[in-house]
Amino acid sequence: MIAIDTARLEQALTRIEAIVGAQYVWREEEARHGYKDAMAPRDPMSYAPRGAVAPASVEEVQAIVRVAGELGVALWPISRGKNFGYGGAAPHISDVVMLDLVRMNRILEVNVDMGYAVVEPGVGFDDLHNHLVENNIPLWISAPAHTWGSVLGNALERGVGYTPYGEHASKVCGLEIVTGTGELLRTGMGALEGAKTWQLFPYGFGPSWDAAFMQSNFGVATKMGLWLMPEPEHTLNLAMAFDRPEDLPLGVEALRPLKLDGTVQANPSFGNIIRNLSVRAPRSEYYQGEGPIPAEVLEQARIKSGVGHWNFSIRLFGDKAVNRINAEKVKRAFAHLPYEFDVSEWHRGEPLKGSGSPTPTLAALGVVDWLGGPGGHLTFSPVSPFTGAEAWEQYTTIRAMYEEAGFDYYGGFTAGQRYLNHISMILFNRNDEDMMARANRLFSDLIEVAAARGWGEYRTHTLYYDQIARSYDYNNGALRRWNETVKDAVDPHGIIAPGKMGIWPRRYREVRA
Amino acid sequence: MSALTIRSLPVVALVGALSLAHAAEPEAAQPGQELFLERCGGCHLEGGFGTRVLARRVPEGQAELQKRAVLPAALITLVVRRGLGSMPQIREAELSDADLAAIAAYLEQRP
Repeated sequence: MIAIDTARLEQALTRIEAIVGAQYVWREEEARHGYKDAMAPRDPMSYAPRGAVAPASVEEVQAIVRVAGELGVALWPISRGKNFGYGGAAPHISDVVMLDLVRMNRILEVNVDMGYAVVEPGVGFDDLHNHLVENNIPLWISAPAHTWGSVLGNALERGVGYTPYGEHASKVCGLEIVTGTGELLRTGMGALEGAKTWQLFPYGFGPSWDAAFMQSNFGVATKMGLWLMPEPEHTLNLAMAFDRPEDLPLGVEALRPLKLDGTVQANPSFGNIIRNLSVRAPRSEYYQGEGPIPAEVLEQARIKSGVGHWNFSIRLFGDKAVNRINAEKVKRAFAHLPYEFDVSEWHRGEPLKGSGSPTPTLAALGVVDWLGGPGGHLTFSPVSPFTGAEAWEQYTTIRAMYEEAGFDYYGGFTAGQRYLNHISMILFNRNDEDMMARANRLFSDLIEVAAARGWGEYRTHTLYYDQIARSYDYNNGALRRWNETVKDAVDPHGIIAPGKMGIWPRRYREVRA
Repeated sequence: MSALTIRSLPVVALVGALSLAHAAEPEAAQPGQELFLERCGGCHLEGGFGTRVLARRVPEGQAELQKRAVLPAALITLVVRRGLGSMPQIREAELSDADLAAIAAYLEQRP
C-alpha cells in the first residue's frame, strides 16, 4: 500500500476546501466514521478512509481530481454508499480520500417518448421513482431489493432488478466521465458535440466504452443515460413455492426455454426458505441452537410459515391479452410439477403495490437482524449456467460449505436469459469475532472452490477484489494484465479507486511487488 | 417543434436521500417533522424495517420513534452519525448537521 503522508493529505484537503467549501470536506475521525462499512465482516476502522469530500458539480469533481493527481492522493468515488454487503460507503484501503458524489443528485432529464432518464450519481431509486410518480410520467424504474441506493452506482456495478429492464447494465446508454487527469469525456454518441442520440444509440463510433466504465476504476462517472420501461397496460404474476429443495433443478429447466424465447422477460428469482423466513422474523423464532438450522426444524418452520423451500414469481408485463396467453404457456411449462401457481393481475390505473413496479422499500435490510445483530452480511455471487444440473451442483456445493462453517445457507438464483446469478449471503453478528472469522474463511474458501469448478463471481465485496480477480486466471491472468495496461494509460497518476476489482495502478503494483 | 422536444422533460430535480411522499398526515407544522418523515420515514414509521427491528428490543409501544417516551437529541445524533445495530450511519454529506439537529429536536419533544 501507499500511505498518505499526513502533511500531504492536509495540503490536498486544504486545496480541496477551496474548491468545494470547508463544510464539504471531512478529515480523519469524522471521515472514518462517516465512510465505514456498516455491514463490515471485520473491524471497519481497519479499512476506513483518511478524508472525504462531497462535490456538487462536474467542475468540482474535475478540480478535485486534478489536485489529487498533482499530489498523488488517491480518491475513492462512491455514489450514495448503500451497496450493503459489497462494502457500502467504504473503500477497501485506508489511504484514500472518499469522493462522495451524493450531493450530485439531479435528475437532469426524463424523456417520455424515448423512455430514458439522465441522472447524476446521487440520485436514488426512491428519488427517481417518486419523480416519475409525482409528475405522472408513464415510465417505470427497475430496482434491486432495497431502493436506498444510487441508480447510477447500481447500474455501473451491474446490479439486478425484477422487471424486463432488470439487467440494469444493459440499459445504460451514454456516460459522462471525469478521467484520471480531470478531463471530461462523453461516451457513445455523446462524443459528438450537440449529439441528438446520446441516450438512444448505445454504441457510438469506434470502440464502445460504457461497459469499460462498469465495475472499473478507469474514471469517475458523473452522468448516466438509462433506458426506462414504458408503463405496461397490465401485469400478471404467477407465484409458486416448492416444498422440497430438490425441486430446484426442475424449476430451472422449466423456466429456461421461457427466458430463452422471450416469453418471460423479467428476471424471476428462486429464493430459498431462509431468504423468505429472514424478512419475517429473526432466527430465534425458529431455532435457538448453534450451527445451521437442522433440516427437520427448517421443515417445521416451512410448514408453519406456509412458505416453500424455494419461492419464486414469474411476472409478465405488457398487454393483457398477450400476458394471458403467455401465462398459459408458463403454466404448461410447469404442469409436470406437483404445484399450482398463485395468479394475480394488475391493471394500469390501480395502485402500484402488487404491480411489479418497484416502490420505495428497505424491507430487504431486515435480513441483517436474522441472528439478533448487530448484523452484517457478505454477499457471495457466482454465476451459474442456466441448467438444472449446474444450479443443483452449485447449490449443494455452496450450501454444504455454509453449513460446514456453521452458517445457514441464504440464497437464490435470479434468472438472466442464459445464466443464473446465484446470490447467497453469509449472515453474521458484527460483535462476534469468531463468527466474523468463520465468515471470512468461508468466503475465501467459496471463491477457491467455485473457481476450481469454473464458476466466477459477478460482483463482490471490496475486501475480496484481489482474490476474485486472481481467480480469473486464463492465460496467466491476461485480462487482469490488460486491465492494468488500460489503467496505467487512462489514470497515469494512479489515483482513481486503486485496487478496485483487483486493478492496481503501476505505482501500487511496484510497491506490492 | 418535434414530439421529442415537446415531450422531453429537461428537469433539474433536486432530490432528497430518502424521499417518502405522503407517508403520514402532517399535524400542526413542527420543526423537524417534515424532515423526519422524508429522511427517516422509510424505516422508522409503523411497519418500517427500523420499527420492526426496534420492536424486538424495546418495551411495547416504544418502537416507533415518534411515540418513544424519552429520546434525547444527543442519542439520536450519535446513532445517526455512527450507526447502531442494523442501522447504518448517515453521513453529513447526505444529511446536514442542521437538518439532523432539527430532526433530533423534533423527536426529543415527542410525543
